[in-house]
Amino acid sequence: MFRTDEIIKAAKLPPEGVAMSRHIDYIYFIPILFVTIIGTFHMHTALLCGDWDFWLDWKDRQWWPIVTPITTITFCAALQYYNWVNYRQPFGATLTILALGTGKWIAVYTSWWWWSNYPPNFVMPATLIPSALVLDFTLLLTRNWTLTAVIGAWMYAILFYPSNWPIFAYSHTPLVVDGTLLSWADYMGFMYVRTGTPEYIRMIEVGSLRTFGGHSTMISSFFAAFASSLMYILWWQFGKFFCTSYFYFTDEKKRTTKVYDVFAYATLAHADKGKLSGGKA
Amino acid sequence: MNVKHVFKLWMLGFCGVATLAFAPVFDSTPAFAHGERSQEPFLRMRTVNWYDTEWVGKSTAVNDVTYMRGKFHLSEDWPRAVVKPHRTFVNVGSPSSVFVRLSTKVGGVPMFVSGPMEIGRDYEYEITLKARLPGHHHIHPMFSVKEAGPIAGPGGWMDITGRYADFTNPIKTLTGETFDSETEGGMTGIMWHIFWISVGLFWVGWFMVRPMYLIRARVLAAYGDELLLDPVDRKLAIGLLVFTVAVVTIGYLAAEAKHPITVPLQAGEAKVKPLPIKPNPLVVEVTHAEYDVPGRALRMTVHATNNGTEPVSIGEFTTAGIRFTNKVGAAKLDPNYPQELVATAGLTMDNEAPIQPGQTVDIHIESKDVLWEVQRLVDILHDPDQRFAGLLMSWTESGERLINPVWAPVLPVFTRLGA
Repeated sequence: MFRTDEIIKAAKLPPEGVAMSRHIDYIYFIPILFVTIIGTFHMHTALLCGDWDFWLDWKDRQWWPIVTPITTITFCAALQYYNWVNYRQPFGATLTILALGTGKWIAVYTSWWWWSNYPPNFVMPATLIPSALVLDFTLLLTRNWTLTAVIGAWMYAILFYPSNWPIFAYSHTPLVVDGTLLSWADYMGFMYVRTGTPEYIRMIEVGSLRTFGGHSTMISSFFAAFASSLMYILWWQFGKFFCTSYFYFTDEKKRTTKVYDVFAYATLAHADKGKLSGGKA
Repeated sequence: MNVKHVFKLWMLGFCGVATLAFAPVFDSTPAFAHGERSQEPFLRMRTVNWYDTEWVGKSTAVNDVTYMRGKFHLSEDWPRAVVKPHRTFVNVGSPSSVFVRLSTKVGGVPMFVSGPMEIGRDYEYEITLKARLPGHHHIHPMFSVKEAGPIAGPGGWMDITGRYADFTNPIKTLTGETFDSETEGGMTGIMWHIFWISVGLFWVGWFMVRPMYLIRARVLAAYGDELLLDPVDRKLAIGLLVFTVAVVTIGYLAAEAKHPITVPLQAGEAKVKPLPIKPNPLVVEVTHAEYDVPGRALRMTVHATNNGTEPVSIGEFTTAGIRFTNKVGAAKLDPNYPQELVATAGLTMDNEAPIQPGQTVDIHIESKDVLWEVQRLVDILHDPDQRFAGLLMSWTESGERLINPVWAPVLPVFTRLGA
């Protein structure tokens, strides 16, 4: 079904080299790459959109669908660059969001439930996996990061609210307490005491992105899509900056040039290998 | 680095880890503090002056309802360093949500969201609490001011008995359903997460079963990506793209159908009213105040005039939730008020006689107790604005309580000689 045999053959590695590369895949991929993404991306998210993701009563129609996609597409773009440009692997965004989800669920059950005694339904995180999947599909199908920034990043943000509505729709059910109309989410936020997080810290539909007949969500989602597109471009470039390897090659005439193809040392097919062998890196 | 050196480093590391591991054995006393004493004195003394705080029901069974109620005065001497109370929220200071808060009323008005309050006015609050987590809990009323932060009131101990497993909190919605706050929506959310995680794992796993990194990098560098972009991957991507968009759409429409009546999150403004201003025949002004560091005493000279028809006796000075009383004030004390916050004989005056109607007197009042140290209010000397504020309470012969807010700059007295 796959082209695995042709790819292994083209790699021109001895059988023990192939076996070793698979060990490296597993050792690198799970304990190093995945755990590193959990640590870094979870912290990034907690700092930039943490309250929106932690609390049920922060998930409003306006800021939640804006803040969450914009701040989370960042690592997706950078990890897509790394996985796509270096390996043509189209799972950078999904991998990133799976790692984030792992971190979030660890936090839900350790920090929020075991340590702070908040029920999991009150601190239920949002899902971004459908958005990340579509971002990866777009990159694979278009093979073009600019088109991914335009189509995939837009889809990433647009899909966020509808993919989470099945999880959180119930929390907008109305109820009346002491003659006051509240949503279920509002009352949950009120009931479960947060000593250091008073009500006014919430940002509930503050701002002017609400001019089309009160359709806050749609406007917010489109704004998030536009901003996500820009954010995707920026973080793709961050990925490029941090993933670009190079060395300096000095030839026989003492001319030094910057060489980006670091596989020049290891790849048999590289035409300049003969020249490089005499150079100094 | 020789073997001996490595062994030394290893031993040092081992000792460090052993110390950390065994430290709890020697001192495993639970920490009860919320850090309320770490707030600067000017924040606790000159913003909210709490009084009549009551922790109803010192022991409550899980699922039972109890109350915390009281009054507070927003000090006229509100510090310049603290944002004015344009947006405030009456909160509960507790170690997590040991109670669920069913309701808060300020002046009889529900306060589910924040709202403005007025400096110089008094407010009455009542917080309805339902016992949730068993234990011995230190509970404070709190006053949160936007851009200034939470200001802790006095803390009292409340016990909750029973088992958490028995806790339920069913609430009826406007659409006629009954939701339990502990569980509602939890399983639905978890199932959706499990579903999407499975799809995500399938997508990543699809590539994990094949060489992932080193081999592909070599092939890419040598031949480009023609070989690496397997047509079967594209077919799967197209299929999963359709599947994902379809599931999101169907899920959204199903949720809309299941919950046809929804409202946006509500974030209005609570319009709470202060207590009516009561006529107060006693007029008090602080003309001088000093803090005696070695004597642990705040001394003030007040210029007081009784414009009423009855003699008035000063009985209590309260600030930052702590209370200094003399015999007059001690007789009026709520016996349930936390003893660790009261200096029952901490208030002395050079003239204990009641202020007669029409009389104007200058009285030297001293509030003296180790509480100044224990509550870390002596740190007033390190504040950027060395002033104090509090409430002076006095009683008429007929038993009516008069409350006078007092405030003034404080001069430090560092030696007994200076005193």
